[in-house]
Amino acid sequence: MADPMLKLVGVHKRYGALEVLKGVDLDVAKGEVVCILGPSGSGKSTLLRCVNLLEPPEEGEIFLEGQDICRGPGSGTGEQSWNLDFVRQRVGMVFQQFNLFPHKSALENVTMAPEKVLGRSKAEAREKATALLERVGLGDKLGQYPERLSGGQQQRVAIARALAMEPHVMLFDEVTSALDPELVKEVLDTMRELASEGMTMLVVTHEMGFAKEVGDQVVFMDGGVIVEQGKPVDVLDHPTQERTKKFLGLVLER
Amino acid sequence: MSEFFHQYFDFNYMGEHFWEVLEAFLQNLVIFAVVAVLALSWGLLLALLRQLPGKKFVPVRFVTIAYIDLFRAIPILIVILLISGGIPFLEFIPKDIRIPHWFGKPDPFWYGVAALMLVYGAFTAEVYRAGIEAVPRGQMEAARSLGMSHWQAMRHVVVPQAVTLIPAPMLNELISLLKDTTLVSVIAFAESVLISRELLAQSFNSSAMILTAFFFILIILPMARVVDKLIARQQGKIARGSHIEVA
Repeated sequence: MADPMLKLVGVHKRYGALEVLKGVDLDVAKGEVVCILGPSGSGKSTLLRCVNLLEPPEEGEIFLEGQDICRGPGSGTGEQSWNLDFVRQRVGMVFQQFNLFPHKSALENVTMAPEKVLGRSKAEAREKATALLERVGLGDKLGQYPERLSGGQQQRVAIARALAMEPHVMLFDEVTSALDPELVKEVLDTMRELASEGMTMLVVTHEMGFAKEVGDQVVFMDGGVIVEQGKPVDVLDHPTQERTKKFLGLVLER
Repeated sequence: MSEFFHQYFDFNYMGEHFWEVLEAFLQNLVIFAVVAVLALSWGLLLALLRQLPGKKFVPVRFVTIAYIDLFRAIPILIVILLISGGIPFLEFIPKDIRIPHWFGKPDPFWYGVAALMLVYGAFTAEVYRAGIEAVPRGQMEAARSLGMSHWQAMRHVVVPQAVTLIPAPMLNELISLLKDTTLVSVIAFAESVLISRELLAQSFNSSAMILTAFFFILIILPMARVVDKLIARQQGKIARGSHIEVA
Protein backbone atom coordinates (compact mmCIF):
# COMPACT_ATOMS: atom_id res chain seq x y z
CA MET A 1 0.00 0.00 0.00
CA ALA A 2 1.18 3.50 -0.79
CA ASP A 3 1.89 5.97 1.98
CA PRO A 4 -1.31 7.22 3.57
CA MET A 5 -2.17 10.87 2.99
CA LEU A 6 -1.82 11.50 6.67
CA LYS A 7 -0.29 9.34 9.39
CA LEU A 8 -0.13 10.21 13.07
CA VAL A 9 2.14 8.21 15.35
CA GLY A 10 2.07 8.65 19.13
CA VAL A 11 1.13 12.34 19.05
CA HIS A 12 1.34 14.08 22.43
CA LYS A 13 0.34 17.68 23.19
CA ARG A 14 0.80 19.33 26.56
CA TYR A 15 -0.03 22.76 27.93
CA GLY A 16 2.19 22.93 30.98
CA ALA A 17 1.10 20.13 33.28
CA LEU A 18 -2.09 19.52 31.30
CA GLU A 19 -1.72 16.74 28.77
CA VAL A 20 -4.40 17.19 26.13
CA LEU A 21 -3.25 14.48 23.70
CA LYS A 22 -1.80 11.34 25.26
CA GLY A 23 -0.51 9.44 22.28
CA VAL A 24 -2.76 9.43 19.23
CA ASP A 25 -2.20 7.12 16.24
CA LEU A 26 -4.26 7.59 13.10
CA ASP A 27 -4.00 6.69 9.41
CA VAL A 28 -5.95 8.63 6.83
CA ALA A 29 -5.97 7.41 3.22
CA LYS A 30 -6.23 9.73 0.25
CA GLY A 31 -9.84 10.73 -0.37
CA GLU A 32 -10.97 9.38 2.98
CA VAL A 33 -13.39 11.26 5.25
CA VAL A 34 -12.62 10.74 8.92
CA CYS A 35 -15.18 11.99 11.42
CA ILE A 36 -13.87 12.62 14.93
CA LEU A 37 -16.38 12.48 17.79
CA GLY A 38 -16.00 12.90 21.49
CA PRO A 39 -17.00 14.95 24.52
CA SER A 40 -15.65 18.47 24.91
CA GLY A 41 -12.14 18.49 26.28
CA SER A 42 -11.37 15.12 24.70
CA GLY A 43 -8.64 16.67 22.55
CA LYS A 44 -10.32 16.42 19.14
CA SER A 45 -9.89 20.10 18.22
CA THR A 46 -6.31 20.05 19.50
CA LEU A 47 -5.68 17.05 17.24
CA LEU A 48 -6.75 19.04 14.17
CA ARG A 49 -4.65 22.01 15.27
CA CYS A 50 -1.65 19.72 15.61
CA VAL A 51 -2.10 18.46 12.06
CA ASN A 52 -1.63 21.95 10.57
CA LEU A 53 0.92 22.91 13.24
CA LEU A 54 -1.17 25.72 14.74
CA GLU A 55 -0.23 23.79 17.90
CA PRO A 56 2.93 21.80 17.20
CA PRO A 57 2.94 18.52 19.14
CA GLU A 58 5.66 17.92 21.74
CA GLU A 59 6.06 14.26 21.00
CA GLY A 60 5.25 11.83 18.21
CA GLU A 61 5.30 12.15 14.46
CA ILE A 62 2.91 13.39 11.84
CA PHE A 63 3.51 12.32 8.25
CA LEU A 64 1.82 14.33 5.53
CA GLU A 65 2.18 12.67 2.13
CA GLY A 66 5.08 10.72 3.56
CA GLN A 67 6.95 13.76 4.92
CA ASP A 68 7.54 13.97 8.66
CA ILE A 69 6.27 17.47 9.39
CA CYS A 70 7.39 17.43 13.04
CA ARG A 71 11.03 16.65 12.29
CA GLY A 72 11.88 18.96 9.44
CA PRO A 73 14.66 21.53 9.55
CA GLY A 74 14.05 24.04 12.32
CA SER A 75 11.37 21.99 14.05
CA GLY A 76 10.59 22.26 17.73
CA THR A 77 10.85 26.04 17.82
CA GLY A 78 7.17 26.61 17.21
CA GLU A 79 8.07 28.52 14.05
CA GLN A 80 9.52 25.82 11.84
CA SER A 81 9.24 27.67 8.57
CA TRP A 82 10.02 24.85 6.15
CA ASN A 83 7.35 22.68 7.74
CA LEU A 84 4.83 25.48 7.97
CA ASP A 85 5.05 26.28 4.28
CA PHE A 86 4.86 22.61 3.35
CA VAL A 87 1.92 21.94 5.66
CA ARG A 88 -0.16 25.03 5.14
CA GLN A 89 0.00 24.82 1.37
CA ARG A 90 -1.43 21.32 1.64
CA VAL A 91 -3.81 21.55 4.58
CA GLY A 92 -6.84 23.85 4.72
CA MET A 93 -8.79 24.56 7.88
CA VAL A 94 -12.31 25.76 8.64
CA PHE A 95 -13.10 27.02 12.14
CA GLN A 96 -16.12 26.89 14.44
CA GLN A 97 -16.30 30.70 14.57
CA PHE A 98 -15.69 31.10 10.80
CA ASN A 99 -12.92 33.67 11.42
CA LEU A 100 -13.65 35.52 8.20
CA PHE A 101 -11.72 38.77 7.82
CA PRO A 102 -14.44 41.34 8.70
CA HIS A 103 -12.70 44.22 6.88
CA LYS A 104 -12.73 42.34 3.57
CA SER A 105 -15.57 41.39 1.23
CA ALA A 106 -16.44 37.74 0.61
CA LEU A 107 -14.43 37.82 -2.61
CA GLU A 108 -11.42 39.51 -0.98
CA ASN A 109 -11.51 36.96 1.83
CA VAL A 110 -11.01 34.26 -0.77
CA THR A 111 -8.46 36.06 -2.94
CA MET A 112 -6.19 37.32 -0.16
CA ALA A 113 -4.10 34.22 0.51
CA PRO A 114 -3.66 33.18 -3.15
CA GLU A 115 -2.44 36.71 -3.93
CA LYS A 116 -0.21 37.20 -0.90
CA VAL A 117 1.05 33.65 -0.38
CA LEU A 118 1.01 32.05 -3.83
CA GLY A 119 1.73 35.28 -5.68
CA ARG A 120 -1.25 34.89 -8.03
CA SER A 121 -2.23 37.89 -10.10
CA LYS A 122 -5.28 39.80 -8.99
CA ALA A 123 -7.28 38.77 -12.08
CA GLU A 124 -6.35 35.12 -11.72
CA ALA A 125 -7.19 35.08 -8.00
CA ARG A 126 -10.54 36.79 -8.61
CA GLU A 127 -11.51 34.38 -11.34
CA LYS A 128 -10.74 31.36 -9.18
CA ALA A 129 -12.43 32.89 -6.11
CA THR A 130 -15.54 33.72 -8.08
CA ALA A 131 -15.76 30.12 -9.32
CA LEU A 132 -15.30 28.80 -5.78
CA LEU A 133 -17.92 31.11 -4.30
CA GLU A 134 -20.33 30.09 -7.05
CA ARG A 135 -19.61 26.47 -6.25
CA VAL A 136 -20.63 26.99 -2.60
CA GLY A 137 -23.76 28.79 -3.78
CA LEU A 138 -22.67 32.36 -3.05
CA GLY A 139 -22.11 33.67 -6.58
CA ASP A 140 -24.43 36.60 -5.79
CA LYS A 141 -22.63 37.63 -2.58
CA LEU A 142 -19.14 38.38 -3.89
CA GLY A 143 -19.06 42.01 -2.75
CA GLN A 144 -20.78 41.48 0.61
CA TYR A 145 -18.94 41.98 3.85
CA PRO A 146 -19.09 39.17 6.44
CA GLU A 147 -21.37 41.08 8.82
CA ARG A 148 -24.02 41.17 6.10
CA LEU A 149 -23.95 37.39 5.64
CA SER A 150 -25.74 34.74 7.68
CA GLY A 151 -23.68 32.29 9.72
CA GLY A 152 -24.18 29.56 7.13
CA GLN A 153 -23.13 31.87 4.31
CA GLN A 154 -20.08 33.00 6.28
CA GLN A 155 -19.05 29.42 6.88
CA ARG A 156 -19.39 28.62 3.18
CA VAL A 157 -17.17 31.61 2.37
CA ALA A 158 -14.68 30.22 4.89
CA ILE A 159 -14.74 26.85 3.08
CA ALA A 160 -14.21 28.58 -0.28
CA ARG A 161 -11.36 30.59 1.27
CA ALA A 162 -9.61 27.42 2.42
CA LEU A 163 -10.20 25.70 -0.95
CA ALA A 164 -8.63 28.63 -2.80
CA MET A 165 -5.24 27.44 -1.56
CA GLU A 166 -5.84 24.11 -3.33
CA PRO A 167 -5.32 21.98 -0.22
CA HIS A 168 -4.87 18.24 -0.34
CA VAL A 169 -6.43 17.79 3.10
CA MET A 170 -9.23 19.80 4.72
CA LEU A 171 -9.73 20.12 8.47
CA PHE A 172 -13.19 21.01 9.78
CA ASP A 173 -13.33 22.02 13.45
CA GLU A 174 -16.96 21.84 14.64
CA VAL A 175 -17.93 24.00 11.71
CA THR A 176 -21.68 23.76 12.31
CA SER A 177 -21.67 24.14 16.11
CA ALA A 178 -22.06 27.92 16.05
CA LEU A 179 -24.84 27.88 13.47
CA ASP A 180 -28.58 28.20 13.91
CA PRO A 181 -30.20 24.79 13.26
CA GLU A 182 -31.77 25.82 9.96
CA LEU A 183 -28.38 26.88 8.57
CA VAL A 184 -26.56 23.64 9.37
CA LYS A 185 -27.75 21.79 6.28
CA GLU A 186 -26.34 24.22 3.72
CA VAL A 187 -22.88 23.87 5.25
CA LEU A 188 -23.10 20.08 5.54
CA ASP A 189 -24.27 19.88 1.90
CA THR A 190 -21.18 21.81 0.83
CA MET A 191 -19.01 19.38 2.80
CA ARG A 192 -20.85 16.38 1.34
CA GLU A 193 -20.15 17.63 -2.15
CA LEU A 194 -16.50 18.16 -1.31
CA ALA A 195 -16.26 14.61 0.04
CA SER A 196 -17.88 13.20 -3.08
CA GLU A 197 -15.23 14.94 -5.19
CA GLY A 198 -12.55 12.96 -3.37
CA MET A 199 -11.21 15.51 -0.87
CA THR A 200 -9.40 14.03 2.11
CA MET A 201 -11.20 15.40 5.16
CA LEU A 202 -10.80 15.35 8.94
CA VAL A 203 -14.09 16.43 10.46
CA VAL A 204 -14.60 17.14 14.14
CA THR A 205 -18.37 17.14 14.51
CA HIS A 206 -21.40 16.38 16.64
CA GLU A 207 -23.52 15.68 13.55
CA MET A 208 -24.07 11.92 13.85
CA GLY A 209 -26.12 11.79 10.66
CA PHE A 210 -23.29 13.36 8.68
CA ALA A 211 -20.71 11.05 10.25
CA LYS A 212 -22.77 8.00 9.37
CA GLU A 213 -23.59 9.06 5.84
CA VAL A 214 -20.36 10.69 4.68
CA GLY A 215 -17.69 9.29 6.98
CA ASP A 216 -15.47 6.46 5.77
CA GLN A 217 -14.07 6.14 9.24
CA VAL A 218 -15.34 7.30 12.63
CA VAL A 219 -12.96 7.99 15.49
CA PHE A 220 -14.20 8.35 19.05
CA MET A 221 -11.88 10.28 21.35
CA ASP A 222 -12.00 10.73 25.10
CA GLY A 223 -9.40 11.95 27.58
CA GLY A 224 -6.77 12.62 24.93
CA VAL A 225 -6.75 9.17 23.35
CA ILE A 226 -8.65 7.36 20.62
CA VAL A 227 -11.04 5.04 22.43
CA GLU A 228 -12.62 3.40 19.43
CA GLN A 229 -12.42 3.68 15.67
CA GLY A 230 -13.83 1.93 12.64
CA LYS A 231 -16.56 2.08 10.04
CA PRO A 232 -19.41 4.44 10.98
CA VAL A 233 -21.97 1.63 11.20
CA ASP A 234 -19.77 -0.31 13.60
CA VAL A 235 -18.76 2.53 15.89
CA LEU A 236 -22.08 4.37 15.91
CA ASP A 237 -24.51 1.44 15.92
CA HIS A 238 -22.47 -1.26 17.64
CA PRO A 239 -19.94 0.43 19.90
CA THR A 240 -17.81 -1.99 21.89
CA GLN A 241 -16.34 0.42 24.46
CA GLU A 242 -18.28 1.60 27.52
CA ARG A 243 -17.20 5.23 27.07
CA THR A 244 -18.39 5.24 23.46
CA LYS A 245 -21.74 3.75 24.43
CA LYS A 246 -22.21 6.31 27.20
CA PHE A 247 -21.31 9.24 24.93
CA LEU A 248 -23.53 8.07 22.06
CA GLY A 249 -26.35 7.47 24.52
CA LEU A 250 -26.11 11.06 25.75
CA VAL A 251 -25.88 12.54 22.25
CA LEU A 252 -28.67 10.48 20.68
CA GLU A 253 -31.00 11.16 23.62
CA ARG A 254 -31.45 14.72 22.40
CA MET B 1 -9.13 93.86 40.03
CA SER B 2 -8.40 96.00 37.03
CA GLU B 3 -4.73 95.43 37.68
CA PHE B 4 -5.32 91.72 37.39
CA PHE B 5 -7.10 92.16 34.06
CA HIS B 6 -4.42 94.46 32.85
CA GLN B 7 -1.77 91.90 33.76
CA TYR B 8 -3.44 88.90 32.10
CA PHE B 9 -6.15 90.10 29.74
CA ASP B 10 -4.80 93.27 28.16
CA PHE B 11 -6.49 92.99 24.77
CA ASN B 12 -4.57 95.91 23.36
CA TYR B 13 -1.36 94.17 24.28
CA MET B 14 -2.62 90.93 22.73
CA GLY B 15 -3.51 92.81 19.57
CA GLU B 16 -0.07 94.36 19.33
CA HIS B 17 1.68 91.02 19.67
CA PHE B 18 -0.92 88.84 17.97
CA TRP B 19 1.08 87.97 14.86
CA GLU B 20 4.27 87.44 16.76
CA VAL B 21 2.60 84.93 19.09
CA LEU B 22 0.68 83.27 16.29
CA GLU B 23 3.85 82.77 14.30
CA ALA B 24 5.49 81.19 17.33
CA PHE B 25 2.43 78.99 17.85
CA LEU B 26 2.77 77.80 14.25
CA GLN B 27 6.19 76.49 15.27
CA ASN B 28 4.42 74.34 17.87
CA LEU B 29 2.16 73.03 15.13
CA VAL B 30 5.17 72.22 12.93
CA ILE B 31 6.86 70.28 15.74
CA PHE B 32 3.55 68.54 16.38
CA ALA B 33 3.08 67.52 12.74
CA VAL B 34 6.61 66.20 12.33
CA VAL B 35 6.56 64.29 15.63
CA ALA B 36 3.06 62.92 15.01
CA VAL B 37 4.15 61.28 11.75
CA LEU B 38 7.39 59.94 13.26
CA ALA B 39 5.90 58.76 16.57
CA LEU B 40 2.91 57.04 14.93
CA SER B 41 5.30 55.08 12.69
CA TRP B 42 7.88 54.39 15.41
CA GLY B 43 5.12 53.31 17.82
CA LEU B 44 3.65 50.89 15.27
CA LEU B 45 7.07 49.37 14.67
CA LEU B 46 7.59 48.97 18.43
CA ALA B 47 4.16 47.38 18.84
CA LEU B 48 4.90 44.91 16.02
CA LEU B 49 8.29 44.01 17.49
CA ARG B 50 6.62 43.42 20.83
CA GLN B 51 4.17 40.96 19.22
CA LEU B 52 6.75 38.77 17.45
CA PRO B 53 6.00 35.14 18.31
CA GLY B 54 8.19 32.28 19.44
CA LYS B 55 11.23 31.69 21.59
CA LYS B 56 13.80 33.11 19.22
CA PHE B 57 12.33 36.60 19.51
CA VAL B 58 12.48 36.70 23.33
CA PRO B 59 15.45 39.16 23.26
CA VAL B 60 13.65 41.45 20.79
CA ARG B 61 10.51 41.46 22.91
CA PHE B 62 12.52 42.08 26.07
CA VAL B 63 14.39 45.07 24.62
CA THR B 64 11.17 46.50 23.16
CA ILE B 65 9.27 46.21 26.43
CA ALA B 66 12.20 47.72 28.35
CA TYR B 67 12.31 50.63 25.91
CA ILE B 68 8.57 51.25 26.16
CA ASP B 69 8.58 51.09 29.97
CA LEU B 70 11.63 53.32 30.28
CA PHE B 71 10.44 56.09 27.99
CA ARG B 72 7.00 56.15 29.55
CA ALA B 73 8.61 56.54 32.97
CA ILE B 74 11.20 59.29 32.31
CA PRO B 75 9.83 62.87 32.40
CA ILE B 76 9.86 64.29 28.86
CA LEU B 77 11.70 67.38 30.06
CA ILE B 78 14.62 65.21 31.17
CA VAL B 79 14.70 63.43 27.79
CA ILE B 80 14.76 66.80 25.99
CA LEU B 81 17.54 68.14 28.21
CA LEU B 82 19.63 64.98 27.97
CA ILE B 83 19.39 64.86 24.17
CA SER B 84 20.14 68.52 23.60
CA GLY B 85 22.90 68.45 26.19
CA GLY B 86 24.44 65.16 25.14
CA ILE B 87 24.12 64.49 21.42
CA PRO B 88 26.09 67.57 20.25
CA PHE B 89 29.15 66.31 22.11
CA LEU B 90 29.17 62.76 20.77
CA GLU B 91 32.00 63.37 18.39
CA PHE B 92 31.93 59.98 16.70
CA ILE B 93 28.62 61.06 15.12
CA PRO B 94 29.04 63.17 11.93
CA LYS B 95 28.53 66.85 12.63
CA ASP B 96 25.53 67.16 10.29
CA ILE B 97 23.70 64.63 12.39
CA ARG B 98 24.67 65.60 15.92
CA ILE B 99 24.08 69.30 15.22
CA PRO B 100 21.34 69.12 12.57
CA HIS B 101 20.04 72.10 10.64
CA TRP B 102 17.79 70.21 8.25
CA PHE B 103 15.02 71.95 6.27
CA GLY B 104 16.07 75.34 7.63
CA LYS B 105 15.23 74.38 11.23
CA PRO B 106 17.77 74.99 14.01
CA ASP B 107 19.24 72.17 16.07
CA PRO B 108 17.01 72.70 19.16
CA PHE B 109 14.01 72.02 16.91
CA TRP B 110 15.45 68.62 15.95
CA TYR B 111 16.49 67.74 19.51
CA GLY B 112 12.93 68.49 20.59
CA VAL B 113 11.51 66.41 17.73
CA ALA B 114 13.82 63.50 18.60
CA ALA B 115 12.95 63.57 22.31
CA LEU B 116 9.20 63.80 21.71
CA MET B 117 9.36 61.04 19.11
CA LEU B 118 11.23 58.71 21.45
CA VAL B 119 8.72 59.30 24.26
CA TYR B 120 5.53 59.39 22.20
CA GLY B 121 6.65 56.35 20.21
CA ALA B 122 6.51 54.45 23.51
CA PHE B 123 3.05 55.79 24.35
CA THR B 124 1.55 55.16 20.91
CA ALA B 125 3.10 51.66 20.91
CA GLU B 126 0.92 50.87 23.92
CA VAL B 127 -2.17 52.18 22.13
CA TYR B 128 -1.40 50.07 19.05
CA ARG B 129 -0.83 47.10 21.33
CA ALA B 130 -4.27 47.53 22.88
CA GLY B 131 -5.76 47.53 19.38
CA ILE B 132 -3.79 44.50 18.22
CA GLU B 133 -4.71 42.53 21.32
CA ALA B 134 -8.38 43.41 20.85
CA VAL B 135 -8.49 41.65 17.47
CA PRO B 136 -9.78 38.11 18.10
CA ARG B 137 -7.09 35.40 18.12
CA GLY B 138 -9.00 33.48 15.46
CA GLN B 139 -8.09 36.14 12.90
CA MET B 140 -4.38 35.42 13.25
CA GLU B 141 -5.06 31.68 13.27
CA ALA B 142 -7.19 31.82 10.13
CA ALA B 143 -4.54 33.88 8.34
CA ARG B 144 -1.75 31.54 9.43
CA SER B 145 -3.77 28.47 8.46
CA LEU B 146 -4.03 29.96 4.95
CA GLY B 147 -0.25 29.95 4.70
CA MET B 148 0.39 33.61 5.51
CA SER B 149 3.50 34.38 7.54
CA HIS B 150 3.16 36.10 10.92
CA TRP B 151 4.22 39.33 9.24
CA GLN B 152 1.73 38.98 6.35
CA ALA B 153 -1.06 38.18 8.80
CA MET B 154 -0.22 41.27 10.85
CA ARG B 155 0.03 43.46 7.77
CA HIS B 156 -3.10 42.36 5.94
CA VAL B 157 -5.40 41.03 8.66
CA VAL B 158 -4.63 42.12 12.23
CA VAL B 159 -3.27 45.68 11.97
CA PRO B 160 -5.98 46.94 9.55
CA GLN B 161 -8.58 45.83 12.10
CA ALA B 162 -6.58 47.02 15.11
CA VAL B 163 -6.29 50.61 13.87
CA THR B 164 -10.06 50.93 13.50
CA LEU B 165 -10.39 50.19 17.23
CA ILE B 166 -8.03 52.86 18.55
CA PRO B 167 -8.66 56.30 16.98
CA ALA B 168 -10.03 57.72 20.27
CA PRO B 169 -7.09 56.81 22.55
CA MET B 170 -4.67 57.70 19.76
CA LEU B 171 -6.21 61.15 19.41
CA ASN B 172 -5.82 61.61 23.16
CA GLU B 173 -2.11 60.91 22.78
CA LEU B 174 -1.93 63.48 19.98
CA ILE B 175 -3.67 66.11 22.11
CA SER B 176 -1.15 65.51 24.83
CA LEU B 177 1.69 65.67 22.28
CA LEU B 178 0.49 69.02 20.97
CA LYS B 179 0.66 70.50 24.47
CA ASP B 180 4.03 68.93 25.18
CA THR B 181 5.58 70.67 22.16
CA THR B 182 5.85 73.71 24.49
CA LEU B 183 8.51 71.84 26.49
CA VAL B 184 10.96 72.48 23.65
CA SER B 185 11.05 76.06 24.91
CA VAL B 186 13.54 74.96 27.60
CA ILE B 187 16.22 74.40 24.96
CA ALA B 188 15.69 77.86 23.47
CA PHE B 189 13.59 76.98 20.48
CA ALA B 190 11.41 79.97 19.63
CA GLU B 191 7.96 78.46 20.00
CA SER B 192 4.95 80.13 21.59
CA VAL B 193 5.75 79.66 25.29
CA LEU B 194 9.31 80.91 24.83
CA ILE B 195 8.07 83.97 22.95
CA SER B 196 5.43 84.63 25.60
CA ARG B 197 8.03 84.46 28.35
CA GLU B 198 10.29 86.83 26.46
CA LEU B 199 7.41 89.27 26.11
CA LEU B 200 6.67 88.90 29.81
CA ALA B 201 10.29 89.67 30.63
CA GLN B 202 10.25 92.75 28.40
CA SER B 203 6.93 94.26 29.43
CA PHE B 204 6.00 92.55 32.70
CA ASN B 205 2.69 91.70 31.08
CA SER B 206 1.35 88.11 30.96
CA SER B 207 -1.32 88.62 28.30
CA ALA B 208 0.80 86.96 25.59
CA MET B 209 0.78 83.79 27.68
CA ILE B 210 -3.01 83.90 27.84
CA LEU B 211 -3.13 84.45 24.09
CA THR B 212 -0.93 81.36 23.62
CA ALA B 213 -3.21 79.34 25.87
CA PHE B 214 -6.14 80.53 23.80
CA PHE B 215 -4.52 79.23 20.60
CA PHE B 216 -4.08 75.80 22.17
CA ILE B 217 -7.68 75.76 23.36
CA LEU B 218 -8.84 76.70 19.88
CA ILE B 219 -7.13 73.68 18.33
CA ILE B 220 -7.60 71.16 21.12
CA LEU B 221 -11.26 71.62 22.05
CA PRO B 222 -12.50 70.39 18.65
CA MET B 223 -10.08 67.45 18.90
CA ALA B 224 -11.52 66.60 22.31
CA ARG B 225 -15.05 66.67 20.87
CA VAL B 226 -13.94 64.31 18.10
CA VAL B 227 -12.60 61.94 20.77
CA ASP B 228 -16.00 62.03 22.52
CA LYS B 229 -17.76 61.25 19.24
CA LEU B 230 -15.42 58.37 18.48
CA ILE B 231 -15.89 56.91 21.94
CA ALA B 232 -19.66 57.21 21.67
CA ARG B 233 -19.56 55.49 18.27
CA GLN B 234 -17.35 52.71 19.61
CA GLN B 235 -19.65 52.16 22.58
CA GLY B 236 -22.64 52.14 20.26
CA LYS B 237 -20.96 49.39 18.29
CA ILE B 238 -20.22 47.41 21.43
CA ALA B 239 -23.79 47.81 22.61
CA ARG B 240 -25.04 46.49 19.27
CA GLY B 241 -22.46 43.74 19.40
CA SER B 242 -21.22 44.32 15.87
CA HIS B 243 -17.58 44.52 16.93
CA ILE B 244 -17.91 40.87 17.86
CA GLU B 245 -18.04 38.39 15.03
CA VAL B 246 -21.57 37.16 14.63
CA ALA B 247 -21.60 33.63 15.96
